[in-house]
Amino acid sequence: MTVVQHMNDPLSDSSGKTAPGRRAPRLFSFLQAHPEAVSLLLLVLICASVAAINPAFLQPSSLIDMGRASVVTGLFALGVFTVLASGGIDVSFPAVGAVAMYGISTLVLNVFPDMPMALIILLCVGVGVLLGAVNGVLVHELRAPALIVTIGTLYVFRGVLLVFVGTVWLMELPPQMVAFGQWSLIDITTSSGVTVSLPVYFLSLPLAGVLTWFVLNRTLMGRAIFAVGGKADVADRLGYNLRAVHVFAFAFAGGLAGMAGAIQASANRMANPFDFAGTEIIVIAAVILGGARITGGTGSVLGTVIGVLLVTVVNNVLVLVGIPSTWQRVVVGAFILLAAAFFVLRDRKTNI
Amino acid sequence: MTTRHHALTTGLKAALLTTVMTVAGSAAWAQDGKTITTVVKISGIPWFDRMETGVDLYAEEHPEMTISQVGPATADSAQQLQIVQDLIARGTDALAVVPMDPGVLEGLLKRAIDRGTIVVTHEADNQVNTMANIEAFDNAEYGTALNERLAECMGQEGKWTTFVGSLGSRTHMQWVGAGEENAAKYPGMELVDPNNESFDDANGTYETAKEILRKHPDIKGFQTSAGNDVLGVGRAIEEAGLTGKVCLVGTGLPNPSAAYLDSGAITAIGFWDPQKAGMAMNEVARILLEGGELTDGMDLGVEGYESVSVTQGAGDGKLVVGNGMVIVDKDTYAERLF
Repeated sequence: MTVVQHMNDPLSDSSGKTAPGRRAPRLFSFLQAHPEAVSLLLLVLICASVAAINPAFLQPSSLIDMGRASVVTGLFALGVFTVLASGGIDVSFPAVGAVAMYGISTLVLNVFPDMPMALIILLCVGVGVLLGAVNGVLVHELRAPALIVTIGTLYVFRGVLLVFVGTVWLMELPPQMVAFGQWSLIDITTSSGVTVSLPVYFLSLPLAGVLTWFVLNRTLMGRAIFAVGGKADVADRLGYNLRAVHVFAFAFAGGLAGMAGAIQASANRMANPFDFAGTEIIVIAAVILGGARITGGTGSVLGTVIGVLLVTVVNNVLVLVGIPSTWQRVVVGAFILLAAAFFVLRDRKTNI
Repeated sequence: MTTRHHALTTGLKAALLTTVMTVAGSAAWAQDGKTITTVVKISGIPWFDRMETGVDLYAEEHPEMTISQVGPATADSAQQLQIVQDLIARGTDALAVVPMDPGVLEGLLKRAIDRGTIVVTHEADNQVNTMANIEAFDNAEYGTALNERLAECMGQEGKWTTFVGSLGSRTHMQWVGAGEENAAKYPGMELVDPNNESFDDANGTYETAKEILRKHPDIKGFQTSAGNDVLGVGRAIEEAGLTGKVCLVGTGLPNPSAAYLDSGAITAIGFWDPQKAGMAMNEVARILLEGGELTDGMDLGVEGYESVSVTQGAGDGKLVVGNGMVIVDKDTYAERLF
């Protein structure tokens, strides 16, 4: 790790360090500087081959379905990306999302049935920020690896939810949440009479993307996050407040997870305290496929979004392509390995 | 921070301990008369709340005995083990257990049987140390019945597909397998992309169902297995405006499915009534307590268990299979709302 790719500004990268004599050094160094271009290329390739195998894919409704399916994964991924950029990792976000979703739904149903939707979302985000901050404080104060700390809080948050809040699925959500989940932005009726609609909550993903980009690229906190993620001890000596960076990154991720919780409940018209379990792997895979390094200090918001689209598309075309269900996991796994191979190659090149 | 963390853990432990003690303690002990205690997987979820109504009903019918239901607050086999251990130590006469994980309870149940406790189980046909395991229905018959309902709705023709919780779920695979066999009777029915895994996640099922609807715009039917599948597929059908054009029959519970049954997005749901299963378990426990025999074709006096099949179980005990499957639609679900 001699070359630390601070920021996601590709121009600051030392592309001249690529070993000369390669056939296409320019192309390689371009891809090296723009890891998200590789993911984008893969995405286009996959879409093209799926369309060739099954032209049913080429419908506006596919685009809408993918967009909607990527919202929750995307919100989680932007949070994980922020934490990764700061040099940590967060695997507790499924529990944070579940606590926000189920806790607030319970509160609304039992205490304040007429609570406006905006306040519900705000409260979910608030719960997420709070739990995220707990993660940040623990990671900083215990000086323990973030992975261990957040595995711990993953269990504690979920456990506390089940013990103290409840284990019963809430099937009858307040009408304002159901209405929010069904509030449609675009409605398309296909020739076969199937209605496909893009819900308004889809907008939360681009909004969260822009917000994350702004925080990371246009604020001092963003600079501090990449600096701490690149080399924490150096950043410390330079006067960056490590505690503030840790707490901020985890709280930001928690807030996005809370938001994802509010959307999941509204879209599904139910709150299930066991929801989101097991999503951590695919979300982290999406962030890594988007070009962020698991060791921190690099990556871009655009790359993360492309990574999310990549895993969403791969997960949502297997039936369309006609891969039998017994083979689907093999295909997803092989695909992640393939993409990972490129990034390993990239990192080796950078280390020369 | 460490102290605060410590306090939290201690608090958690205390809370868990209290829960265990309360549930075990609530099994009020009578001085005379035999005790039958039903131990469920989790208390407080609709399924086992419904079972408790059956246990209470049975207790009313048999005031000479002390009959009650207990269960851990979370789905945790270790907590369930603790409760069973407690009950045995207190000398309960008969245990009716719905094991969270049959393997975990084997040793303890063996000791219970050795010291003379009557042990009856439910939903554990692989349990070795039980005197009788009760199943609500034969899995193959259930799968056939679900598919028959689907075929009826589809007019015996068109494309259809199946969902299972996971490919490793034995009962789900038996259900869809029996469904496939049944559909083979109808040459017009064409099975496409079968055995989609849902992982009992309504959201994932929804996405997969949308994909199937896109790939096969002319699909006519879905047969699903895990409890949440009908909710995910039902939402996909409803949002696509295909209510009434696509049939959906699967395992589900009346209360969660009610809205989709009313709208017609779900054609029918199948399940077994835990209320009746609870009563049947207690009846079998009572028969065994009084030294009676379980015979093939006997009547347990509970709806769906009027003529049970009795065969050799996984161990020395018997396997008792009823005909307790229930398939309800829009017009009939209200009778069994839970």
